[in-house]
Amino acid sequence: MGVLKKELTSLNKDTLEEDNMGDVNDEASQSELESESEEGEDVMLTEPSKNSIYNSNGLLEKLGDISWPENVEWIHKLSIDISQEQEVDVNDDLARELAFYTQALEGTRQAFEKLQSLGLPFLRPSDYYAEMVKTDTHMVKVKGRLLAEKKNIEEAEERRKAREAKKISKEVQAQKLKERAKQKKEEIESVKKWRKQRQQSGFTGGDKGDEMSLPFEDGKGFERSNKRRPGVAPGDRSGGKARQGGGKGKKGTENKRKSRDYKDSKFGFGGRKGQRKQNTADTTNDLRGISKSSFSGNKKRKR
Amino acid sequence: MAKKRKHIELQNSEPMKKDESNPQRTKRTLLGWKDKAKVKESDSPVFRNKEKVLVTCSRRINYRYRHLMLNVVSLLPHCKKDNKVESKEGKGATLNELVELKNCSSCLFFECRKQKDLYLWMAKSPNGPSVKFIVNAVHTMEELKLTGNHLNGSRPILTFSTNFDEDPQWKLLKEIITQIFGTPKDHRKVKPYPDHVFVFSIIDDHIWFRNYQISVPHNETDKVDRGGLDKMTLVEVGPRFCLNPIKIFGGSFGGPILYENPFYVSPNQIRALEKKQKAGKYAKKIKAKTRRKMHELSNPLEPNEFTDMWKE
Repeated sequence: MGVLKKELTSLNKDTLEEDNMGDVNDEASQSELESESEEGEDVMLTEPSKNSIYNSNGLLEKLGDISWPENVEWIHKLSIDISQEQEVDVNDDLARELAFYTQALEGTRQAFEKLQSLGLPFLRPSDYYAEMVKTDTHMVKVKGRLLAEKKNIEEAEERRKAREAKKISKEVQAQKLKERAKQKKEEIESVKKWRKQRQQSGFTGGDKGDEMSLPFEDGKGFERSNKRRPGVAPGDRSGGKARQGGGKGKKGTENKRKSRDYKDSKFGFGGRKGQRKQNTADTTNDLRGISKSSFSGNKKRKR
Repeated sequence: MAKKRKHIELQNSEPMKKDESNPQRTKRTLLGWKDKAKVKESDSPVFRNKEKVLVTCSRRINYRYRHLMLNVVSLLPHCKKDNKVESKEGKGATLNELVELKNCSSCLFFECRKQKDLYLWMAKSPNGPSVKFIVNAVHTMEELKLTGNHLNGSRPILTFSTNFDEDPQWKLLKEIITQIFGTPKDHRKVKPYPDHVFVFSIIDDHIWFRNYQISVPHNETDKVDRGGLDKMTLVEVGPRFCLNPIKIFGGSFGGPILYENPFYVSPNQIRALEKKQKAGKYAKKIKAKTRRKMHELSNPLEPNEFTDMWKE
């Protein structure tokens, strides 16, 4: 008992020594990897390290004490030793984790081969449901996070693609404009040439028509592309804004369509208000344009 | 030795006693009635792994380290979790008593100091060696980046890197780790399929721990196809930590020191050094200023020929 007490006091002294080293209030946060800060200390410690105890005989003796008997089957231990081929740098996170992963992979391969040779069932059947180490709610959170990450990546990809497409489309647009300008120039040039030729040939018509094949006589001259150009009809007094609700939502266009239809039927073309009289005998009694459910009037007006 | 008797069941003594007490009656065992004639003595004692680990922590433990302890409890089905141990004096005695009381053969004690540093004690009872580690780089199972999952209570496959066989202290540590972290085969809470793997490897004199879930495509329960082993993937499940051995003691939570880590610097010393470095900043600045002044005085500049150019 006395011996035990002495050992305990030596242990307590050890821990007390460690406590007395530092100050009480620490504001510096401890670094996660102690090895990082230790590397700076290694130089300092080559001196005190000579005092450290290393009792290899005692260690081996204790090892003999506690180890299981030699003939224990491997199935009790399930332990594999894998060699690390190359020195891994501690601070290189990726290489370190990769080394652990390969060690685990190699280990499980060997273990599975051994288990297979023993003939015991060691793979989980598909219908074996049992309690897992992490709860289902936790796994749902994990799944949610993975999905959110995937979504973020995809959105970033899409945004990048849209940006690139915009750049490309700008280039394409510039190209098209250039081409159109060129085309226009060519056509004008060819008309001028034709005129000159006609002038030179003295305005004779008909017999020499076959000799010249002019680009604008192919019959394709007045074709227009079906694209809607942004632009306003000359008689439109609303400045093109009457049809601008198209992008804001389907409901808006529906309502505008309805009122358009009423107004069209009532007034004809709807936009040309300036050309017509608004208050005539017919229109005063015509109630088609007024709908009870239309809220697009002046809200301040008392109804 | 007393240690070995716990592990090894000696069936030799048992039938002898029964013979003396009831010579006529057939022997009644849990498996049914057995005639005396059928009872035969086994040639060698059967090895039963009856390892039981007691897991406790100290008071004022941090939330992160408490979760780490709970994770470890869930990984070891052969462990018993106990209440917090309040002990300033006589820590070793209290713990030894506790281990004896709970009829455990080893102990994992998580000691947290200053709510910042976690020390882990691994001890074999009753007079086995014990090791004190400092734990760094703790990531618990609750982190959402660790996406794997495995059966609760399945036996792990333990992998060690071969540099555990180089020095005697690593050999001893390997043996302790195998016995503590290796789940006994016949424990009542054990699930039959090993579906996760522990990695213990020594890098830079630290023991790194990882826990991976094994997923291998298979159809039958007792063999894997040829290509199946190549398609095996591992997903990280479990807690991650890094152990730095400080001291190895000959007794349980005390005793003669068998090994001291020469490169170990206590975290208090590290913090003190950092503060000292910061503390001298102002003094150094003053010194540098005076040094500069002296230097300027002792080496005066030559008068510049252009200084008086714009003077009136």
